Amino acid sequence: MTLQELKPDMEGCARCSHCKWVPHLQIKSWRYAKVCPSVDRYHFHSYSGGGKMNMGNSYLDGRSELNDTVAQVIYRCQLCGACQVSCQCYRDDIDLADVLLAIRSTCVEQGFVLPEHLEMIESMKREDNTMYMLKADRGRWSDGLDLIDINREKADVLFHAGCRYSYDEDLRDIVRSAATLMKSSGVRLGIAGKDEACCGGRAYEIGYQGEMKNYAEDMASRVKASGAHTLVTPCSDCYYTFKYLYPKNGLDLGVKVLHTTEYTDQLIKQGRLRPQVEIPLKVTYHDPCHLGRRGEIYKGGWEGDNKLARPSRLKQTGKLGIFDAPRDILKSIPGIELTEMERIREFSWCCGAGGGVLEAEPEFAIWTAKERLEEAAATGASVLVTACPWCERVFKDAVKESGSLLKILDVMELLSQSLNGGSHAAG
Amino acid sequence: MLPAKVYKELEDALGGAEYVTQEPALLDSYAWQPALNITHEAWIPRPEAVVVPRTTEEVQAIVRICSRNGLKVKAFSMGWAAWGGPGGPGVVQIDLRRMNRIIEIDEKNMYAVVEPYVCGSQLQSELIKRGLNCHIIGAGPNCAQLASVTSGWGYGWTGLMTGFSGRNPLGVEWVLPDGEVLRLGAPGSTERWFTGDGPGPSLRGIMRGWGGAQSGLGVFTKVAIKVYPWPGEPEVKRGKGTLLDLQAQVPPTHKVFFLFSPSYEKFADVAYKIGNAEIGYVHCKGAVGATFGIFAPRASEKILSNPALRAMIKAAQHCTLFMLACHTERELAFQEKVLRQIMDETDGFLMDASHLPFHGMFAWGTHRSIFPAVAAFRPGGDFLTSMGSNETYDCQVYAAKLSESMKREYIDDGTFIEDMADCTWGGIYEGTSNWGHLEQIGIFNRRESHKAEGRYAFLDDTMKLTIAKSLGFGLSSLGAGYWKLYGPIMFNYHHWQSKIKQAFDPQNTADATFYIPPYDEVLKTEAEEKGKWDKMRSDAMTFRI
Repeated sequence: MTLQELKPDMEGCARCSHCKWVPHLQIKSWRYAKVCPSVDRYHFHSYSGGGKMNMGNSYLDGRSELNDTVAQVIYRCQLCGACQVSCQCYRDDIDLADVLLAIRSTCVEQGFVLPEHLEMIESMKREDNTMYMLKADRGRWSDGLDLIDINREKADVLFHAGCRYSYDEDLRDIVRSAATLMKSSGVRLGIAGKDEACCGGRAYEIGYQGEMKNYAEDMASRVKASGAHTLVTPCSDCYYTFKYLYPKNGLDLGVKVLHTTEYTDQLIKQGRLRPQVEIPLKVTYHDPCHLGRRGEIYKGGWEGDNKLARPSRLKQTGKLGIFDAPRDILKSIPGIELTEMERIREFSWCCGAGGGVLEAEPEFAIWTAKERLEEAAATGASVLVTACPWCERVFKDAVKESGSLLKILDVMELLSQSLNGGSHAAG
Repeated sequence: MLPAKVYKELEDALGGAEYVTQEPALLDSYAWQPALNITHEAWIPRPEAVVVPRTTEEVQAIVRICSRNGLKVKAFSMGWAAWGGPGGPGVVQIDLRRMNRIIEIDEKNMYAVVEPYVCGSQLQSELIKRGLNCHIIGAGPNCAQLASVTSGWGYGWTGLMTGFSGRNPLGVEWVLPDGEVLRLGAPGSTERWFTGDGPGPSLRGIMRGWGGAQSGLGVFTKVAIKVYPWPGEPEVKRGKGTLLDLQAQVPPTHKVFFLFSPSYEKFADVAYKIGNAEIGYVHCKGAVGATFGIFAPRASEKILSNPALRAMIKAAQHCTLFMLACHTERELAFQEKVLRQIMDETDGFLMDASHLPFHGMFAWGTHRSIFPAVAAFRPGGDFLTSMGSNETYDCQVYAAKLSESMKREYIDDGTFIEDMADCTWGGIYEGTSNWGHLEQIGIFNRRESHKAEGRYAFLDDTMKLTIAKSLGFGLSSLGAGYWKLYGPIMFNYHHWQSKIKQAFDPQNTADATFYIPPYDEVLKTEAEEKGKWDKMRSDAMTFRI
């Protein structure tokens, strides 16, 4: 939707500031009551979800102009979606997250882009990834795993690693673990190797909405050619793109899409994976925004001109995101004690990496991650577990910078450890 | 745009460029103030600049710089509603969001010292851990505790136990419009904050009076807030959900009741008897229209258009939402017994909601004062309010009846969304005192700008109604400049108020659009506008609905 089409949403803003807070019935302390990293770090109301709507409205009313300063405010936002969840507790007629995307698109149309984002787009165009790496190296993460190459053979399940897992060597063990344990359950697991390409979601988020279409079509043809009935990804950004952005833009992959945590949770519940080795750890789980609230399936558009009349079931409240599967996996591992932070599920605090912030404003990304590390440490856990490569990257960097004693692990790493002592596959 | 020299002074005072802005788009995020914006404009005046100070000393420096350079200041905490923003040009907006600490919770003496950007949920969360609770106004827990008690007006669900905004400030730290700091009450002469009166200067009446000065007398930077007992465990256990889907476990000694009375008179009798019996923790008018707004805003249109269903629902109009919150089961049993006797004596009946599936969510949502905002936002997105003075409950009920018939007309002409014209919000204060208020709230969709005239007409009518029927100083009377209408028929209060303004703010630095100008200016305006308001006043005195 264009910014102009979303003007009624912006005009509906009551300036109540609910978008800055955890939904109030879930606030449990002074310390962890806030939910928007952007306004918490940069202070002016303009940085909040509501403030950005006000700026968009001002722009459309011809009261102010886009410029580099305004664009910087707009891009200092992880698009984590927490503001939308809080807003929609009370409002049925405002889609705040759509407004944030449309403002970015307007920035790009008007030529207000960040150099770091331009580089990313160039990398995508040249090498099909957001990581400024060579396309030829994309499949190296899977060397030696003996996975089906869908370019040569059909598979039942297509495994899409995503850009960061494909290239970030620090995280390589995680993606290899995920693929290995899926394969060990007996599934015919295929990958596209060097022919895998970016999902295009990051381009869409930083305002280059048109770019995503090419990647989506490419993705759809790869899925079709693979013969797979299910697409599984360990990347929460890709998951959000497949589950929300593609259908929202009329793009249908034609297969079931699952995150690795959903897939492996099913395997555990079916008895096909049995975690057996005890791992005596107190852990806390961080909900990745793009797997959690933003990972909620696209519920369908609303054609009417008055969203007050829109059926509630079409609201993207974030509640249908993936929250329980990773927790259930952790609970299935003997010895793991899962303790929760205050800001969880759809009102979770962001890791800081999303929306192009890690690339363009790394200091802000680390600041946001450190805030989460403090919250995690306050639970008494020694490990912060999550299920997203972007979260893992920024948390690891923040741990290094802050000297935090927390260990950062992926759900798949813990599951793999617990399986390695016994039989991976039970059936 | 501020002169470069002044802008630089502000930057230096705040220790960096990142705490000051005069970028038009950023300023416009402060000029969007639809709530209680009683004008025809979507935007309020844009501030010249916005500053975000961290300390009282920085606030002092800002005020002095502005005063020296002929600028006005306007401060806000959470910044919800037009009266927190500039009333005209030449105003620097002070956004107090970086002053966000709970400085102290004194459990023994039952007060908490907070800075401006501490919201109701934050303070309540920390208090409950210590067996205490605070008053949260009906507008919601997103509102600032400091602004609520020092500068504005509000009544919350727990008002039966916790009073109302103006009842709860103790010691206060106040940056006057000349930049000096004045500490009221105990902190004026000691290191403690336990009282708003002696030792130390006692100026609560001057500081806030009835409705608060809306930052028109300077900037409040710290306040001690009176707190109350929380009869329950130190944590309200919560599971999944965010609002209406929330899973919450309230203490077993808390119970929610809906009390149904056969008439408004009996409804008032219930309130008096509850007050006299000194029972309960929450007493509020249960508005059937608002209840639909919370739970089924889309369905209500269809349901209420069915005459039979409508009549049935209307029968439940004289409803009280009542909650018991006790320290022990024995106390709970006693209070419930008294309540049942009251309902017998007043020909009503009660519904015990404590066994219903939504009880946990509803009880906790009530304690946190979350529902009024939902009731207003879900049906239409915006609201305005009227009536609601501090008076005897009988007077309030009379006002409710009158204003309901008035609101009916504005619903019928499409100005407001259908809520059965029910008087929406209020209850009795402070247990036995038997006074309270009932607000008449209109819900609307602000995007329908062509209906704006009707909204102003409604406010105008309710204002006249309060005058004609001697119903007290209602909330629709707080608009900018209304002292011109009210002053002469209310003992010339505006002269006293404007003398206070002049004495405390001789340079007129604090933007007083929503308060009152200095005395000299008031006299000048009265001379210039002599006779202008007489007709309106006379119309108001003879207003008939």
